[in-house]
Amino acid sequence: MSSTRNKLIKILSEKKGEYISGQELSEKLQVSRSAIWKHMNELKKDGYIIEGVAKKGYRIISAPKTVTENTIMWGLETKWLGKNVIHRDSIESTQTLAHQLALDGAKHGTIVVANEQTKARGRVSRKWYSPKGKIIAMSMILRPDILPYLAPQLTLLTATVLANVLDEHCGIKPQIKWPNDILINGKKVAGILTEMQAEQDKVLYVIIGIGMNINQTENEIAEEIRNRATSLFIETKVEWEIVPIIQKILEQFEKKYDAYLIEGFKDVKETWENYGFKINERLKIKTAKETFEAIFRGIGEDGALLAEKSDGSVEKIYSAEIAWF
Amino acid sequence: MFKVQEIREIIRLIDHSSITEFCYEHDGATLKIKKETEKTVQVVQEPVTVQKAEQQVQEQPKALDAPKQETPVKPKEEPKQTETKAAQVEDDANIVEIVSPMVGTFYRRPNPESDPYVEVGDVVKEDTVVCIVEAMKLFNEIEAEVSGEIVEVLVEDGTLVEYGQPLFKVKQK
Repeated sequence: MSSTRNKLIKILSEKKGEYISGQELSEKLQVSRSAIWKHMNELKKDGYIIEGVAKKGYRIISAPKTVTENTIMWGLETKWLGKNVIHRDSIESTQTLAHQLALDGAKHGTIVVANEQTKARGRVSRKWYSPKGKIIAMSMILRPDILPYLAPQLTLLTATVLANVLDEHCGIKPQIKWPNDILINGKKVAGILTEMQAEQDKVLYVIIGIGMNINQTENEIAEEIRNRATSLFIETKVEWEIVPIIQKILEQFEKKYDAYLIEGFKDVKETWENYGFKINERLKIKTAKETFEAIFRGIGEDGALLAEKSDGSVEKIYSAEIAWF
Repeated sequence: MFKVQEIREIIRLIDHSSITEFCYEHDGATLKIKKETEKTVQVVQEPVTVQKAEQQVQEQPKALDAPKQETPVKPKEEPKQTETKAAQVEDDANIVEIVSPMVGTFYRRPNPESDPYVEVGDVVKEDTVVCIVEAMKLFNEIEAEVSGEIVEVLVEDGTLVEYGQPLFKVKQK
């Protein structure tokens, strides 16, 4: 990726359709006007529609809406996340490819993103129908220098990032179902699958997979899950551009992750509880040992679900099947 | 008592420093942190139950917040140190245990339809994945970290395991 081209696209985007002269561009970018012309042609190849008018200069008519390596990286304001993007038009699962890349030594912050997944993975092989161009399917490769037992907190952190982006960028308030499902009006709009390879006291890598339903219509959600799943389009009646949402997720994630490594889980906990689904309500918890009803009292300092039992005692739950009634 | 955040911060600082041993007393609570290798940080809690030689360490921290567990401390007592290791040596010097690095649900297979990662009799290498432990929807693929033969599976598929709980016995070559 040429950094000149990156800057060029940024300047053009900031002009929001106004003309900018070739002279001004060449001064700002410190390259010749013929170099600018070459970069413009490259952008056109990527689907940008650019108008060049004599004496006025250049302006962007439209940027490509499709997700590609270039469209994600252009204008992405991060320091380390998404600096290396692997994009596939169609893939079995971004998570599987991310594992292979991580084992081959992919750098911290590498992301794998696809327009379509043919074998989307949830845990327990739950199927996720992900039609082309209507979803976000992305996996992030991280190499955090933390102890393995702390890593589950990253799944809650990721959930708060998605919730924040939906809230601030899309203007709709989501809820987080413990530990990390994202709901809108009680239906699931996004899921997170986090996988880790670790030694006893060292994380080798963590892969955080994010799947989000964006532009599916009701008919494009599998019938058997229609009462439990939704898309951003169904909830907002707006067709969303996917690239900016991905960029917001990456930018927010980087900020939150960096802050978490320094300051710990406290902020994440606060944000999480702000979006928490059914806090102070009854739920039924099934662990390997027992099944019991409890009141959901928010999350602990480490992200565990706090379940208040009928005798008033509070149990920390790290792993269980939960019936949310 | 020490706050979780404080201990985490101390661990971080020590982890990134050249300090190998750190001891701090405050309000009758003692915090001892010992670093064995570059990457290993150990939080040694007092008091520690010393077990018979053939038994492994019982004083395993219990939950996710384990190494910061707040145990009443008697500062005057002679410090008895116990170490948490990835593999605990048993009476048979060649048998080591693979222990869980975190609290969570133990899964022997990648998904319910698959075969288990390993069976008794299988030969594993350091980087062989032997199981998954899940907590808060993070799936941790556990590597053997020793090479040898699986001689016993100590935990049933789908059950809850604690931090430090032995999962497999491996006979080293």
